[in-house]
Amino acid sequence: MIDMKQGTIWETKEMQARLRRRYRKERIFKSVGLGGLLVGLLALAILVASVLDTGLSGFRETRLKIDIYMNPEIIGNVKNLHGDAWTKQVRDVDYGALIRNSLRTKFPDAKSRHDIFGLLKLVSSDARVEIMNRLIKDRNIIGKTIPINLLSSSIVDMYEKGQILRSSDASTRKISNKQLAWLDKLQAEGRVTSQFNWTFLTSGDSREPELAGILGAAVGSFLTLLVTLAIAFPIGVATAIYLEEFAPKNKWTDLIEININNLAAVPSIIFGLLGLAIFLNIFNIPRSSPLVGGLTLSLMTLPTLIIASRAAIRAVPPSIRDAAISMGASPVQTQLHHVLPLSMPGILTGTILGMAQALGETAPLLMIGMVAFIVDIPKGVLDAAAVLPVQIFLWADSPERGFMEKTSAAIIVLLVFLVLMNGLAIWMRHKFERRW
Amino acid sequence: MDNAAEITPQAPTQAMIQACDVNVYYGDDHAIRNVNLDIAPKTVTALIGPSGCGKSTFLRCINRMNDTIASCRITGTITLDGQDIYDKSIDVVQLRARVGMVFQKPNPFPKSIYDNVAYGPRIHGLARNHTELDQIVFTSLQKSGLWDEVKDRLDTPGTSLSGGQQQRLCIARTIAVNPEVILMDEPCSALDPIATAVIEELVAELKERFAIVFVTHSMQQAARISQKTAFFYLGEIIEFGDTTQIFTNPRVEKTKDYITGRYG
Ligand SMILES: Nc1ncnc2c1ncn2[C@@H]1O[C@H](COP(=O)(O)OP(=O)(O)O)[C@@H](O)[C@H]1O
Ligand SMILES: [Mg+2]
Repeated sequence: MIDMKQGTIWETKEMQARLRRRYRKERIFKSVGLGGLLVGLLALAILVASVLDTGLSGFRETRLKIDIYMNPEIIGNVKNLHGDAWTKQVRDVDYGALIRNSLRTKFPDAKSRHDIFGLLKLVSSDARVEIMNRLIKDRNIIGKTIPINLLSSSIVDMYEKGQILRSSDASTRKISNKQLAWLDKLQAEGRVTSQFNWTFLTSGDSREPELAGILGAAVGSFLTLLVTLAIAFPIGVATAIYLEEFAPKNKWTDLIEININNLAAVPSIIFGLLGLAIFLNIFNIPRSSPLVGGLTLSLMTLPTLIIASRAAIRAVPPSIRDAAISMGASPVQTQLHHVLPLSMPGILTGTILGMAQALGETAPLLMIGMVAFIVDIPKGVLDAAAVLPVQIFLWADSPERGFMEKTSAAIIVLLVFLVLMNGLAIWMRHKFERRW
Repeated sequence: MDNAAEITPQAPTQAMIQACDVNVYYGDDHAIRNVNLDIAPKTVTALIGPSGCGKSTFLRCINRMNDTIASCRITGTITLDGQDIYDKSIDVVQLRARVGMVFQKPNPFPKSIYDNVAYGPRIHGLARNHTELDQIVFTSLQKSGLWDEVKDRLDTPGTSLSGGQQQRLCIARTIAVNPEVILMDEPCSALDPIATAVIEELVAELKERFAIVFVTHSMQQAARISQKTAFFYLGEIIEFGDTTQIFTNPRVEKTKDYITGRYG
């Protein structure tokens, strides 16, 4: 029974129990929310930590300082050559022999073919190019013995980074006991150094892990996104404006609206099939090119972009439209002067989210042949190119152990790109919002 | 010098706007029934009546703002200076420059004070250079009584002003394109009494130049500021006449009931 006298009604036992129940519910509600947030943050932290843990070493490389005797007998008589003759001669020099001889001088204990082969395996195949470049820079080194900091092979690099353990079984270990002994000697002389891996940031893909770089894929991704943006943004915004502001509301526009919403939920690989059928088979656009990738991804991002843009346009208060129309602004002026500037922050956020989604998309690109092994850095939208997520996929799939850290390093690069894009979105929002 | 308002209105006929048998439908909903109304130049014409009786609807017919509502259909004629404003030859953009509108809720553009006022002259090409535009902005702000308050911060957002100032900014924006008629739809209903008084004074000054159609739900306000009053009820004009006559000596029983507060 409730006491009907005012003032006491709030002091009954039932009321106090009610109050306690309410407080408890609020506490539970809050802690569930907070718990969800913490779980999310923990998962993110674990992801980032594990990627950084395996990936950061990918940004470093190991170099071995070897004294190379620039044997004039091997190099040949090039001193007085100039122009094309010089270029050709320099290119034809047997640098492998220079390295072999110099290493054998350094480690006379390597006698058998097998040993010499193992010795040569310490340095990267790129070491020849490095010596050639030294020779091109200064032809006076011919006949001298000069120390050159040569890029190590992948196995040495992995050993130095602790990815191959000395304690592991020698029969299955990628690096032999003899090679380890040689390395120890170099190490003792301070000839093993670790430095920033510029190759990774400045070159394209390679079969050799120590020579593989991300730049080709990064440029490919950039060009692909550029195409995606150039196509999806104007079409998406125009569609959104038309549907939101000009289209008559009837069965047809309802149907279109439903279909756009459905398209946003279509698995991306379907768009890849569509791109394959239309852009490759009908229009014969070069396979694996950023153009075809961008076209396909723009099909995929369009629905997202249209939906985000429509929401942003709808959020512009009708009173602003009324004001513009009553001032005698034409429908186009109303859109361009008032509705678009006000909805731009929302549209841009939607666009960048769509682009970020496109940046990370792999499946549709597999369908249009962007999985090829491509060494060259693409120079235009018609060149064959790889993109970052596909590059990650390819490296992750590679049997070479050396590509493991490259995979994680590429993920780091992809994440950095995503963070940059989101930063750009925030910056643009700010810039446009300051114009109220 | 006085660029914004130098063009004198058309030869002053007795009625500037004539509404003849106007009917408005929203779909099947018959919102305005057989309205006949003459609006004279240099006069404040008040539209009063209970809410939902069609005052705004009628007002929006005069600058064809109802065109933007898909379900809205209008019959009858409305003429401005003898021209049928629903005629095919009428350009609706120009019509809206000639018939300005001030809304119930102040709705300045989210742009600077200067740009708010300069917007109309810019899109209609009324100024040949910056000096002329500055001049128009200056005169308009002065006529709307806002100049002294904002002259030092013309580049701050119009939305940063107080409600009453925003409403006067909207008035300045409207008169910057030198209209013949200004439609005001309950322009004071979102304002405090002091800001309301300022707007009322302003309306009294503006009527020296423009025809003003003023919707209000406050009968005291209608009595204070208008010379003519039309009483709307359920989409019809029950009575139209001189304000003093309507308020002191209404001819129709319903009008009398309304102004004595019996309903509405
Ligand atoms: N956009 C619209 N769509 C449909 N009906 C409307 C619309 N605007 C107003 N009406 C209807 O028209 C009638 C008159 O409305 P309105 O002109 O706004 O009245 P008032 O301004 O006198 O309060 C009302 O019954 C209202 O429901
Ligand atoms: Mg109204």
